[in-house]
Amino acid sequence: MSISLYPLASLAQIEQTPSRQDGIPPNLEEDLRAYGCKLIHQAGILLKQCVPLPPLIRFVVYRAMYRKQVAVATAQILFQRFWFVTSMKQFGIGDVGMGALYLASKLEECPIRMRDLINVYDLLLQRAAYTTSPKTLKSIEFKYTPMTYFGSSFYDMKDALVVAEMQILKRLGFHVNVVLPYGTLVNYLRVLGLTSKENVCTRAWGYLNDALQTPVYALYAVPTIVCAAILLATRHLRVPLPSQPPNCWWELFDADWEDVWSVCGYIMRLYRDRDPDEQKRLFTMVSKKGVRKWLEDNGPQLVES
Amino acid sequence: MNYIQLEKLGEGTYATVYKGRSRTTNEVVALKEIHLDAEEGTPSTAIREISLMKELKHVNIVRLYDVIHTETKLVLIFEYCDRDLKKYMDAHGDRGALDPVTVRSFMYQLLKGTAFCHENRVLHRDLKPQNLLINRKGELKLGDFGLARAFGVPVNTFSNEVVTLWYRAPDVLLGSRTYSTSIDVWSCGCIFAEMISGVPLFRGRDNQDQLLHIMRIIGTPEDRLLRKIATEAAVSFRYMPCMHVVYFVFLYQPSTPEGQQQAANASKQYPRYPKIPFQQVLPKASPQAIDLLERLLQFDPNKRISAAEALNHPYFTSTALPYPVPPPGAMGPPTYNFPHPHAAHHQQITQQQQAQAHAQAQAHAAYMAQQGIPQQPMQQMQPGMYPVQAQQQQQQQQQQQQQARIASSIHAPPPENVHVHSVAW
Repeated sequence: MSISLYPLASLAQIEQTPSRQDGIPPNLEEDLRAYGCKLIHQAGILLKQCVPLPPLIRFVVYRAMYRKQVAVATAQILFQRFWFVTSMKQFGIGDVGMGALYLASKLEECPIRMRDLINVYDLLLQRAAYTTSPKTLKSIEFKYTPMTYFGSSFYDMKDALVVAEMQILKRLGFHVNVVLPYGTLVNYLRVLGLTSKENVCTRAWGYLNDALQTPVYALYAVPTIVCAAILLATRHLRVPLPSQPPNCWWELFDADWEDVWSVCGYIMRLYRDRDPDEQKRLFTMVSKKGVRKWLEDNGPQLVES
Repeated sequence: MNYIQLEKLGEGTYATVYKGRSRTTNEVVALKEIHLDAEEGTPSTAIREISLMKELKHVNIVRLYDVIHTETKLVLIFEYCDRDLKKYMDAHGDRGALDPVTVRSFMYQLLKGTAFCHENRVLHRDLKPQNLLINRKGELKLGDFGLARAFGVPVNTFSNEVVTLWYRAPDVLLGSRTYSTSIDVWSCGCIFAEMISGVPLFRGRDNQDQLLHIMRIIGTPEDRLLRKIATEAAVSFRYMPCMHVVYFVFLYQPSTPEGQQQAANASKQYPRYPKIPFQQVLPKASPQAIDLLERLLQFDPNKRISAAEALNHPYFTSTALPYPVPPPGAMGPPTYNFPHPHAAHHQQITQQQQAQAHAQAQAHAAYMAQQGIPQQPMQQMQPGMYPVQAQQQQQQQQQQQQQARIASSIHAPPPENVHVHSVAW
């Protein structure tokens, strides 16, 4: 019933996202979304290492790590949803990603310390800045300079984090229920008799994880996304499944071919080659300031939908 | 703000509750003010409460009407209820104990609300009399979802710091984090016993003491069960029993030796208490009430009845009244239809008795109607014959009569004069 439902974007929101209304071209928005999610993912990995290792009770560690993985996935989905109600000109992907991860850690009952999260994001952003700086040479190694103890940067980030968390809640109307696809994937793989093929399982699982960097979790129902992951995995590994109408395996799971194919498209687009400049451009646009500057320099790209 | 803030009703750890009135509809509401802390952002209790209660629309769950959001605070606008069950019991009960008709009505509503939560995949996790609110119509509503959470497939590794100690299920006390809907059912059982007797059933000082209190009454379970629960607590990685989905199994290798160790400790520590029949603990309860209680308070979470099943228990469905009613025709019709608020004081004893019998019969009819047992439609009838038509109006009327009756029996002021002190959150 109602509670277990998760919100999806409306047609109007998909046709004209707030960022696009502000003149941010769709490609750029897509890349920024993906980059924001990558930051969340990387932060999650770094935070996982912060878990102290109690020597006796091993399971506590596993539990903490497991919940954090769930929190990272949840955060990425909330992050994707957020950009259907807000423009990237108004909020930076860095702050919102940080807020989403903090919020998700509360939702999944594995609270992250604000200080840890801020330090981790600071590190990630410094590293990104290092990659873009013109003097970067392969010979100079990246060195992280921790925030100064009495400087304002920590407090600025903290404020931004709290505001971002609040804004996510407010703009999503507290619809923070997220359904993750992994349980469904295992079920479907069993139904299709694919559990013995380890490579199919791992690969499909990987596609589901990568799909977190695309907006699909805010656009399609979980079964559709899971079908797309299985489709990609089986096609790449040349595992035959009944695919001729009237015997199409995805119909078993109430998925529509058009939708499944579209999700596959979103996922595969993540892997396309990008030119280095395009890549670098993203690093400068983590904050809303960067996005605004880009808009000033390039002029709003008005795209008719 | 679209609401006028009136007197303060209560203060909790993270919020203050005020009575309020809507400027547009004049409706009385409860305003729960949550201060936003720069140290930890929005409190997770507030996030849970809003995201879950927003969707839970049911007569037996306090309605969240609106959320007002400012820079420094978050105000939740709730349906107003006069008091919580604890205060109701203190005010209307006989040393806290409620009469069988009221107990049955409240228990039914409590289970109804709980079943609705579970149907919507929400665990309340903190059911206790202070979190059950009673309004003037005698409707019971589940409130304070600050500890609640949505459960998907599967439920695992939740925090085990949930539920106020006295209402905490033994599996949670033993460290289980894989609990499910059954923990709310345990709390319902504890509340049931408390409504019958007027005192909390298990009053432990701490985790361990609480377990001993439970075992002293329902008996120490066999080692096998204790070991099983303890192992599960150690492994903490299971699927929900009712959902046939495997999930993330490979991520975690259960550390069986540790689990067994813990299990061995678990069973060694506890003295072997025999089970005491509930009839002995709660002499006032009817056999059917005892049977329901027995099913609610099962040590083994898997054997505990579900809230939805409990609603179909003979305690609610059977025609037998919790206590005898005079045979039909033994009394004349009541002298009035609708109780005058002050009538209770002026009525002579005989008339009071008549009114009582009438109220009982009406209450019974309301249950029958709720249960969908067909009855002949009749408007005004002899009190001995079960009155009918469980329409809203008549139910209200019945409730008011009941209240009047209770008030008169313990010499409390009539209901409309009862000053509302606070709503516990």
